[in-house]
Amino acid sequence: MSRALLDLSIKEALHQLRSGEISSRELTQASLDALEQLEPSVQAFLTRTADMALRQADEADARYAAARRDPQAVVPPLLGLPIAVKDLLALEGVRCTCGSKILENFVPPYTATTVRRLLQAGVVVVGKTNTDEFAMGSSTENSAYQLTHNPWDLERVPGGSSGGSAAAVAARMVLAAMGTDTGGSVRQPASFCGVTGIKPTYGRVSRYGLVAYGSSLDTVGVLARSAEDTALVFQHMAGQDDLDATSMDLPVPEYRLEGGDLRGLRVGVPKQYFIQGIQPAVEEAVRAAIRQLELLGAEVREVSLPHTEYALPVYYLLAPAEASANLARYDGVRFSPRPEAENLWDVFFNTRGQGFGPEVKRRIMLGTYALSAGYYDAYYAKAQKVRTLIKRDFETAFEQVDVIAAPIAPTTAFRIGEHTDDPLAMYLEDVFTLPANLAGVPGLAFPVGFDPQGLPVGMQLMGAHFDEATLFRTAHCYQQATDWHLRKPQWIG
Amino acid sequence: MTDYEIVIGLETHIQLNTTTKIFCSCKADSWFDPPNTNICPVCTGLPGVLPVLNQAVVEKGMLLAAAMHAEIQPVSYFDRKNYFYPDLPKGFQISQYDRSLARGGYLDLPMPSGYVRRVSIHKLHMEEDAGKTKNAGRERLIDFNRCGVPLVEMVTGPDLRSADEAAQYLIRLRQLLRWIGVSEADMEKGHLRCDANVSIRPRGADYLNPKTEIKNVNSIEAVRDAIEHEAARQIREVEAGNRIEAWTLEWDEDAGVLRKMRSKETEADYRYFREPDLLSLPITDEWKERVLAGLPELPLERRARFMQAYGLPEYDADILTGERNLSDYFEAAVQAYGGDPKRVSNWLMNDLLRMLNDTGRTADQLKVTPQYLAEILKLVDANTVNTSTGKALLAKVDQSGKAPRAIVEEEGLAQVSDDSAIRAVVQEVLNESPKEVESYRAGKVTLMGWFVGQVMKKMRGKADPSLARGILEELLGGG
Repeated sequence: MSRALLDLSIKEALHQLRSGEISSRELTQASLDALEQLEPSVQAFLTRTADMALRQADEADARYAAARRDPQAVVPPLLGLPIAVKDLLALEGVRCTCGSKILENFVPPYTATTVRRLLQAGVVVVGKTNTDEFAMGSSTENSAYQLTHNPWDLERVPGGSSGGSAAAVAARMVLAAMGTDTGGSVRQPASFCGVTGIKPTYGRVSRYGLVAYGSSLDTVGVLARSAEDTALVFQHMAGQDDLDATSMDLPVPEYRLEGGDLRGLRVGVPKQYFIQGIQPAVEEAVRAAIRQLELLGAEVREVSLPHTEYALPVYYLLAPAEASANLARYDGVRFSPRPEAENLWDVFFNTRGQGFGPEVKRRIMLGTYALSAGYYDAYYAKAQKVRTLIKRDFETAFEQVDVIAAPIAPTTAFRIGEHTDDPLAMYLEDVFTLPANLAGVPGLAFPVGFDPQGLPVGMQLMGAHFDEATLFRTAHCYQQATDWHLRKPQWIG
Repeated sequence: MTDYEIVIGLETHIQLNTTTKIFCSCKADSWFDPPNTNICPVCTGLPGVLPVLNQAVVEKGMLLAAAMHAEIQPVSYFDRKNYFYPDLPKGFQISQYDRSLARGGYLDLPMPSGYVRRVSIHKLHMEEDAGKTKNAGRERLIDFNRCGVPLVEMVTGPDLRSADEAAQYLIRLRQLLRWIGVSEADMEKGHLRCDANVSIRPRGADYLNPKTEIKNVNSIEAVRDAIEHEAARQIREVEAGNRIEAWTLEWDEDAGVLRKMRSKETEADYRYFREPDLLSLPITDEWKERVLAGLPELPLERRARFMQAYGLPEYDADILTGERNLSDYFEAAVQAYGGDPKRVSNWLMNDLLRMLNDTGRTADQLKVTPQYLAEILKLVDANTVNTSTGKALLAKVDQSGKAPRAIVEEEGLAQVSDDSAIRAVVQEVLNESPKEVESYRAGKVTLMGWFVGQVMKKMRGKADPSLARGILEELLGGG
């Protein structure tokens, strides 16, 4: 019985919580039980917060009870909803490892603004999810702690870096999970795990408390099973924040998702995203989904994003450059485990040498190199210029269309270990997701089919700056007409 | 022997006196606080936190830029300056690199020997301070209180030609910073820090030789001594046929010697890039106008005006514009008095400055307001009180805060100018001193002073001394 609660949509669950049909305690216990049963196979969580979750659930139930006695009382919009938080987001008093040994014992004395807002909206946090170390990776294999397994095929990766969150939602351990997206880290795991996930406009959501990787690219997003559920949660974490100077003071619209059709919507299909090397099943599913949008009344036309091919080199110069500075603070002075050292410089060398994994070291070196005197102009400065061109591509395209539909990754989930010896092949996984981060535009990933091995295929919709609403509405219409997002891996029961 | 000239450029770090730090709301000044008490996740660089720019820092920076005649830029940017050090928690310092708050600028130094040295400003930017480390036995202790304290870094061109000029620059800069209210500018407390770049060349040459950088000079005297030592060393080296190496030197104030800290052959690579966590900083005309409306007349301008408008000697004008409160006080007193400004200046410089120095106050804290000073001067001018009573009044007013005229009335301090009253006392004195009267009449006229003194004594100093002398001469004179 209890596991069935986790099959509810967020909308249904909140409705039943409000009516008193179910309690947050029951729902939260169902989530914790699911973790108990499924975690040995999936390993999506780095830290479980069962005690805190049950306490929050009981508080939620008390508030619901009080509200039922007093019809005037206002209950927070997500009261009692169990979610998971990616371990790159700070939650006061709970260890925040970022998937790295260097933060093994770091307990932040503050909470990320996005997490705080969701807590104020009433959510219950059941745990912190696995991630590639400092979000650097596309498979969650770069976590210093554990491999997370794709619920659709436990031999395969869940994608990354928000692989723990995507797997937790796909395995129905939670109804929603927070992720972060710097180069595709929400959308690509959403695609690999067959769930829906939003990467918001840069500046729409506060980055305060999100441990920085590429500061000009980092965003906080949500993963859930449908566009409607995703929007319901996203609604309450978006918006300007005084603690983040780059968050924009623009109102967050109310994402009211109703059925209906897509008449009047102009959908652009960028020819540069259907390249050689894309897996045929991926291309087929995405093209079928675009036809479905057309059937729903959308007008589909080809658009050109001519600088797409440069997104990969530009990203792998800029993100590591920013990361090389962002990760300089892990010096062993304040919160890292401090190895034996003879002198000051050995403290730095040993802390970082032992604390960081190989991918993090690779990116720190790449970024340091790109910023070095004599190389700066050829790499960092040049990459900034090309980034401007990529941004302009999108601006031009959004003069012609409302949304751009494209594949998320060239392939479906690959096997664990398949790319670990070939960093470049791993980087190529990000080729379709990077442009949205470089341009700062929002992207929404959702399932549009399965490959012959039964692995989910996702598609992304990209929108104009701050127009998440159109993405949610389009995907919601699509999901009203299809059922890919309702499927679940058989074995989880 | 070649005649050499010294070429000096100064790099100063100015701690702005804002209430809070530059990127968080921690208290900025920790001089009286124990280590690591004014810190938060932002200024200690914990993972995931972000800087938020304190507008007050920008406004103080704008005031300083305008006072240095620098051009405030309509848009400036913050950059990350990357280096590892235990007192730098983020592993980078948020600073401004190629597009900073202001460009250009200069400071004119009127030198005591009469000429004016114009010093150009090459760089003026805002940045955050780092923390402090100190060794304690085998341990290294870190205090993060200073992390995020707002600084303006200001670098001069190689325009200074002597240790005296360098000292004068710091004296004038300190005066200016306090004057416009952007920094306490206390070198001992590190509010104003200075590194000196020093080279020598044959007098009249127009090229620059390799320079050395002297760090850790934290008083104006130390800057002067260190530069003199270093210039003398460089001259000795060059005369001995040696090359000057680009060293970084440290001044040991106690021992009075320079120590080599490191060679500087290779420039550190700070890998500057734009701070992605902060937006560009636009300064609109409206904002600039509003802030600069608060910029007072600058000390050197006011000094010139005091000489011109009030006819003050340079010496007086210099002292009276040494500090803004004092010069405001002077001007207010001149206005209230309406008489000779030099007379106000004399009273200020002779008497009030001593009161200020004795009690460690500034002019605005005196209970003798400029209006009260003017009132006292008028009382003296009108012979209501004599000069010594007037000076005594300064202290009485400063103690009680009462108006001078009220004190004169209460304590009956007004001079007695009534002929008959004085005549009665004179007669009394003459009756009591027959011997002195005899001596005076016998020709010992120097006794007149003694007679006046006796009259004043009996009248507790209130007699109009010239009237008393006239009556004495009249009654004694006949002989």
